[in-house]
Amino acid sequence: MSELLLRLEILTSDLSQRPETAIVLTLAAYFAGLRLFGWLRSPAWCPPILLAACLLAGLLALLPLDYTEYRHGVGWLTWLLGPATVALGVPLYQQVHHIRTLWRPIVLTLPPAAMLAAGYAVGIAWLLDAPPQVLASLAPKSVTAPIAMGITQELGGSVSLLMGALLITGVMATLSITLLARWGNIHDQRVIGFALGLNGHAIGTVRAFDIGPTAGAFASLGMSLTGVFTALWLPLMWHLMG
Amino acid sequence: MLSILRGFLILTAFLMLGDITVELFALPLSSGVAGMLLLTFWLLLRRRLSDDLGAASQPLIGMLALLIMPGVVGIFFQADEFSGQWLTIFIALILSTLLSSLTTLWLMQRLVSTPRERPDE
Repeated sequence: MSELLLRLEILTSDLSQRPETAIVLTLAAYFAGLRLFGWLRSPAWCPPILLAACLLAGLLALLPLDYTEYRHGVGWLTWLLGPATVALGVPLYQQVHHIRTLWRPIVLTLPPAAMLAAGYAVGIAWLLDAPPQVLASLAPKSVTAPIAMGITQELGGSVSLLMGALLITGVMATLSITLLARWGNIHDQRVIGFALGLNGHAIGTVRAFDIGPTAGAFASLGMSLTGVFTALWLPLMWHLMG
Repeated sequence: MLSILRGFLILTAFLMLGDITVELFALPLSSGVAGMLLLTFWLLLRRRLSDDLGAASQPLIGMLALLIMPGVVGIFFQADEFSGQWLTIFIALILSTLLSSLTTLWLMQRLVSTPRERPDE
């Protein structure tokens, strides 16, 4: 009996370090989030990803599982973010004829819009007396996760605060663009998609693919251009402004 | 199933290629984004999309939100570090995202609708 208890004890500490535990928790929280979203009759103010993230956080807090251990184990799953980002090249290629006819608005919108996405956040936080570390973590908030992590490290911010900022920004961008487009009577999938990708990175892009393939392609384009452009100008500007 | 695997092989090979490009030229990009740009160029040169690539990319794109979930929950476990800052952070994020969404939509809509060709979706 005591031997069984001992084995159980070893098992619990062992299980928490295994990738399957982390992956099961993540997938379970994801699907529970989707289910809950359906039960709540798909509220626009609370997308499934936010519900799922809260559920996952709750699970991790309740279980005797360290967040660093979890992050380590779930690496098997999050590694897929790499190939998934590459996969965005496919819709981009499929919609290239649309993009060709619209290259002028795209080129003219991107720099001011991407700079303002960062500028508004840093400006408002600065006015509210946020310390430099917080400013550096909020600056790349509209950039897709893998690029944004690199930028915030270069600026001296906190990666986990940035990731939280990405979640809030993605959710908020999805919500505000949906509402603003309805309110402003904008139905052009290309405009809505581009705005979703530029401001709402991967979360906005997922929403854009729900709207349609054209919106999705323009969101992929907006997301990747914002990522590339911000990675180039933000660190430069940051160091210039001290 | 094999088609998905073949497509996955292509995607992962382009990820590697992106990795190599980023390291070699010290680019400020993630290897995923570099790989995506390389894949787009390659497809533009070939002018043909294989079924394999389509079969593998579609489910992966649908999974994007799931894939960033483990990262974003980290924020719930850092609460002490930024205590006292939360209100500022929330106000800054929500207000700035609203403003920048408005700016982008307005700019893009104006620029798109100026030329004679009208969007018809």
